[in-house]
Amino acid sequence: MIKVALAGQPNSGKSTIFNLLSGVYQHIANYPGVTVDKKSAFLEHKEHSLEIVDLPGTYSFSSYSLEERVAKEFIIDEKPDIVVNIVDASNIKRSMYLTFSLLEAGIPVVVVLNMMDIAADYGLEIDSKKISDMLGVKVVTTSGSKGEGKEKILDAIVETYNKSSQYRAFEINYEELEPSIQIVEEKISYDTAPLTKRWYAIKALEQDSQVIEKIKSEDSSFDEVIIKDQEEFFHSTYDKDINQFLATFRYDSADIIFHKCVVEHKKGEISTSQKIDKIVLNKFLAFPILALIMFAFYQLAIVGGYKITDYTWPILAAFKNMVISVMPEADMATIPMISDFAIWMVNSVNALLNYIPIFFILFALIAIMEDSGYMPRIAFLLDRVFRKFGLHGQSTLPLILGGAFTGGCAVPGIMATKGIADERARMATILAVPYMNCLAKVPFYTLLLGAFFVSEMGIMMFMVSTVTLFIALIVAKVLTSTVLVNRQTTPFMMELPTYHIPTLKGVLITAWQRVWIYIKKVVTIVMAVAVVLFVMLEFPGVDSKVQEQIAQEEQKALVSFDKSVSKTSFYSDIDSRDKVSSLLNFYDLYRAKRMNSSTSEAVAKLDSEFEAKNSIFFEIIRGDSKDAKAINKALRNLSKDRNRLLRQIKEEKISNSLLGSVGKAVESVTQYAGFDWKINIAFLSSFAARESAVATLGSIYENNKADNLRAEEAMAQNSGYTPIHAVIMIIFMILTPPCIASMIVIKLQTGKYRWMVFAIMFPITVGLGLSILLFNLANSYAWSGLETMIYFYISMALTAITLGFLPNKSINWKGGFATK
Amino acid sequence: MSLNEVKEGKSCIIKKLGGDRKIIQKFLDMGFVPNSHLKLVRNAPLQDPIEVNIKGYNIAIRRSEAAHIEVEKL
Repeated sequence: MIKVALAGQPNSGKSTIFNLLSGVYQHIANYPGVTVDKKSAFLEHKEHSLEIVDLPGTYSFSSYSLEERVAKEFIIDEKPDIVVNIVDASNIKRSMYLTFSLLEAGIPVVVVLNMMDIAADYGLEIDSKKISDMLGVKVVTTSGSKGEGKEKILDAIVETYNKSSQYRAFEINYEELEPSIQIVEEKISYDTAPLTKRWYAIKALEQDSQVIEKIKSEDSSFDEVIIKDQEEFFHSTYDKDINQFLATFRYDSADIIFHKCVVEHKKGEISTSQKIDKIVLNKFLAFPILALIMFAFYQLAIVGGYKITDYTWPILAAFKNMVISVMPEADMATIPMISDFAIWMVNSVNALLNYIPIFFILFALIAIMEDSGYMPRIAFLLDRVFRKFGLHGQSTLPLILGGAFTGGCAVPGIMATKGIADERARMATILAVPYMNCLAKVPFYTLLLGAFFVSEMGIMMFMVSTVTLFIALIVAKVLTSTVLVNRQTTPFMMELPTYHIPTLKGVLITAWQRVWIYIKKVVTIVMAVAVVLFVMLEFPGVDSKVQEQIAQEEQKALVSFDKSVSKTSFYSDIDSRDKVSSLLNFYDLYRAKRMNSSTSEAVAKLDSEFEAKNSIFFEIIRGDSKDAKAINKALRNLSKDRNRLLRQIKEEKISNSLLGSVGKAVESVTQYAGFDWKINIAFLSSFAARESAVATLGSIYENNKADNLRAEEAMAQNSGYTPIHAVIMIIFMILTPPCIASMIVIKLQTGKYRWMVFAIMFPITVGLGLSILLFNLANSYAWSGLETMIYFYISMALTAITLGFLPNKSINWKGGFATK
Repeated sequence: MSLNEVKEGKSCIIKKLGGDRKIIQKFLDMGFVPNSHLKLVRNAPLQDPIEVNIKGYNIAIRRSEAAHIEVEKL
């Protein structure tokens, strides 16, 4: 097995090359202990098996960023046989800086000059043979985005591997630094193969903490003082810092390569990329263009995605029906628990799977933005605004995905934080995104607004959807000045790469990989939580007294049905409880399916299907004859009775359940915000999936007598709530992000369970506190619901603006006496 | 003068890097080495960050970071 590490600077087309080599069979994991993706692939070439690992893109090999540490750790600890260095051929002067660091390490290198097509566009003529001679390694030229070069790269890897015993480590003569390198090298007393001692010495002289730690762990007698001594000696003798000296040397080496091996034919011409930037980053046009792109993004993903769910939802519904059909049927008002459970599980999973088309489009669009090079431009445009809240220009997209305005989803939002270079801003973004306007909360708002704010719905909805951005900014600012205050911040230096047309393959692979993570990590855990919630809703169940009473009513309904139908010619087919029960199920199922069949062909198909299933029952249901009509009427009443009983059981069950007890237990606190235990249950069950909050509230307040009342009306009439209750519920919902899916993604992106717990507890505490405060203020000053919302909105907006003007804590001073 | 004082479209030469070790290493890794040429391509529409061209590629840098780079007009 040949172990190959793929190294290269960001924007060198490294992932395109990796996709080219590996195809779709990629293995994604995390590097141990960190949230950096580790992609690897296995393949065969010329009777050799290869393992290719894609290292994170890094500008250099120092230890200041997580990616650099991870990449270097891999080289040091995993000791790959070959390092393949992807170089942006259109920018050799800069890219080769990393190449020289890699060459010095001592592991045989294959240099891949990628993006040769772009280099040609720039009028660069590159003599790769000459580069190969100068560096003493294989140099391959490719255009990854055109799918060219796979064989050449693999050939070069195998060839280099076969000759690796003859490979002599590359050395740069660092002239005046050489004596220092010698001294440190001699102090390293253990065998560093396959890496050279010289490389260790040079890295140690650069004061690379990771390398110094490594040397000390292998050789405890190694004393760091020698590094300090050499640094001081070098500084006092040559008036230069070692780091700057080494960096300059490597850039100069890259410069030599450039001048000897590259001919510039179009020197001084303005590139296409520069022309695009003249418009896209123009003072006056930049923001309108950004707004336009964001709008298109939104339309395509959310609006377009929803349209697709119109086609995919029937598939999920069919899946649900299939599950229902294999489960045991209901016997009057007694539904077997296994059927209940199966339907509950399918509903929970379907609610999440339903988002997959939206997510797929979102992830594909993000990949396009990343690959095209527009993403860093967004950061460039908006950094100044977001920085004021402890965020980063790169926080823009996650926040928009999380739901600017009409609603988004925290899951893709949090997943898009991966690229944020600044650790503190990244954490703050992850924790702020769930406050944005979640799409699945919208039905909940609509229900409450429809019930209590019919005439003010527009303005209320506008406030609900826009206040979320203020809240997210406040949260970010508060967190970065408190719990995150000591997190590492990174100097803001961000490449604005040349624009590229993304490859279809690359976009699809990335989108699919992210969707797959969602399915694998999120859906599975949601299923586990759904089981727990089911148990909490189902047990201990309805108590025996109520059961008895329900059984009696069931009996009464059956008797009255029996009386109405005993004279009909069909009586022999419906003279037992079993038979009636299956007729009832037949009737209800037909009605449910009939309601979903819109075309006459569908109805005809449905009819023949049911006729084939049971022709006598079908005749009854059709109600063509006088007898059938009579039964039909009795059946309708029976069905109503059953539904009433089912609801009663459900209410009893919820009220008795463990979750109900929790809801009642916390009522002692939540009552101050006006929440009774029923609302508490709705909030609790919304944890699994937001949709269930509406379902729970709806089912609790459904009117038992009049079936045709809409849920909004039923709620307004039956709940006894005032508009203030409704506003407080809405505000609480705005402030409480915990939805299990987003919490899992927070765990994935932060790598820590404690951040997940924090992301759950913090909003609940704040949300409840604010709800209680507002509820009491509203009641004592007799505000209307709308007024309450307006005051809330204004105070959030003002807080956000005020916080934006507070300076961030960052240490910029230096000097004074050394304290150490 | 510092990089912050350079006008849009003007070029300069890097003289000296300031700041702590971490930021200096980052400067070096991104190509800001003493004696190299640098051009200020544009200011962001909100005036911060700025876009500079160095070693043939474009890089955005915040003014607070640019303040650490001492340059000399060309």
